[in-house]
Amino acid sequence: MNRKSVFGFGMAVAAVAVFAQAQAQGIGAWVTKDANWTASKAALQALGERYATSDALFDALKQAANGGKPLSFPQLAQPAYDWTGIYTRTAGGLNYDPDLPPGPPNPSGPASARLTPAGLAVVKAKAEALMKTGGEFDPLSKCGPPGTPRWFTEPFLKEYVVTPGQTLLINEMVNDIRRVYTDGRPHTSEADAYGSPNGDTIGFWSGDMLVAHTKYLNSGQYQRGVQPNFSDQVNVVERWRKVNPKTLEVDVWSYDPANLAKPWYTRQSYSKLSNDDYNLRIRYWDCGENSNNTIIEKDDGTSQFKDFSFVPDDAAASNDEAVKKAAKAAKP
Amino acid sequence: MKTNMIRTVIGVVALGIALPVLAHHSGGMFDDKKEITVSGTVREFQYTNPHSWLLVDVTGDDGKVTTWGFETEGPSTLTRAGIRKSDFTPGTPITITANPMRDGRPAGTWSRAIRTSDNKEFSPRGGFVVK
Repeated sequence: MNRKSVFGFGMAVAAVAVFAQAQAQGIGAWVTKDANWTASKAALQALGERYATSDALFDALKQAANGGKPLSFPQLAQPAYDWTGIYTRTAGGLNYDPDLPPGPPNPSGPASARLTPAGLAVVKAKAEALMKTGGEFDPLSKCGPPGTPRWFTEPFLKEYVVTPGQTLLINEMVNDIRRVYTDGRPHTSEADAYGSPNGDTIGFWSGDMLVAHTKYLNSGQYQRGVQPNFSDQVNVVERWRKVNPKTLEVDVWSYDPANLAKPWYTRQSYSKLSNDDYNLRIRYWDCGENSNNTIIEKDDGTSQFKDFSFVPDDAAASNDEAVKKAAKAAKP
Repeated sequence: MKTNMIRTVIGVVALGIALPVLAHHSGGMFDDKKEITVSGTVREFQYTNPHSWLLVDVTGDDGKVTTWGFETEGPSTLTRAGIRKSDFTPGTPITITANPMRDGRPAGTWSRAIRTSDNKEFSPRGGFVVK
């Protein structure tokens, strides 16, 4: 047995031990991100894999919480439910999984994602295109929202509003609000459901953890670079918790039979920002307010600025045929 | 103001590290292997989402004025970096360093700027530091 195999075997044993511990505590137990995180993460990944669908995992978590307990207004004064403040993603950059190191992208996609052949083909195509052109076109350039689960990765300001009946998860970028209904309502029925960027989210409170389930999402990508795509079959189970006065963490299991051979588990984290002078405020985000930010998608799949207000003749100033073409098309 | 333009080729930096996290588009239109430094006066600070633009008038050796545009992050990230709209009022003399556009247009992505009046440096990328 070589060193790699020994390490793998050791990790598997450790993961089984952590999983057994979680089982003993009940599958709903929160797992602290500590020195044993690699093994703990493997156990949480295994927990996701134990259930064939996100509905089954969500139902199991709800059963473990005895159906959950409604949150009361007096409870909101307790520190565990005080999620006030302005937060931002703690780490991760363009990696959906913040545990993965920054740097040149892995051409086979994130190491923690078990992709289907179709999902892997998408990632490899992205890697090849990036190598060939050095650029890409982000659908966000059209000013739409990132959509869930990409929502977790956006690097700007976030704000959380906890109430007994619903919790608002707010992303500053494009005024993007997710609502987690915790008033006991079920999902919209299949017959009446329709896809949207953040889907339909219901949840319950298990102690100081907010457990949520999201379905009826649109397709998208986890982030730019060589992050995988998600299809409109993607469903997400989340488990949020305030782990210290300045940090919210969330377990996220993504299920997507089109792109993921197994559910993809990650632990996302958001840090409360210092704002003693109150200068940091979330305001309306108008993506189209400045024409200098208008992006065009080039024929090779990369991006380019269309037309600068401060350049008298963009077609003459630019050596990019895409700019010249756009300028010609814009002429009356 | 007299032109002071220096074109410097710097070392290769891994894709995705050299450029800031850009809100709504890929940074491929900027050359992350090059930096330019120009001196001029602020024409306008467009403090907008998803990106802000600092427009700077630069006078060439021939006396011709060219307006350069420097893209940076939106208001909240600039606030986190300690860069306020009032720091760059029209007419403020500055020297700014950027990764230039690849297509030759007078624009780039703002790396750092020094305000001439007090020699203070402004780096938008500090806006992503979690503190």
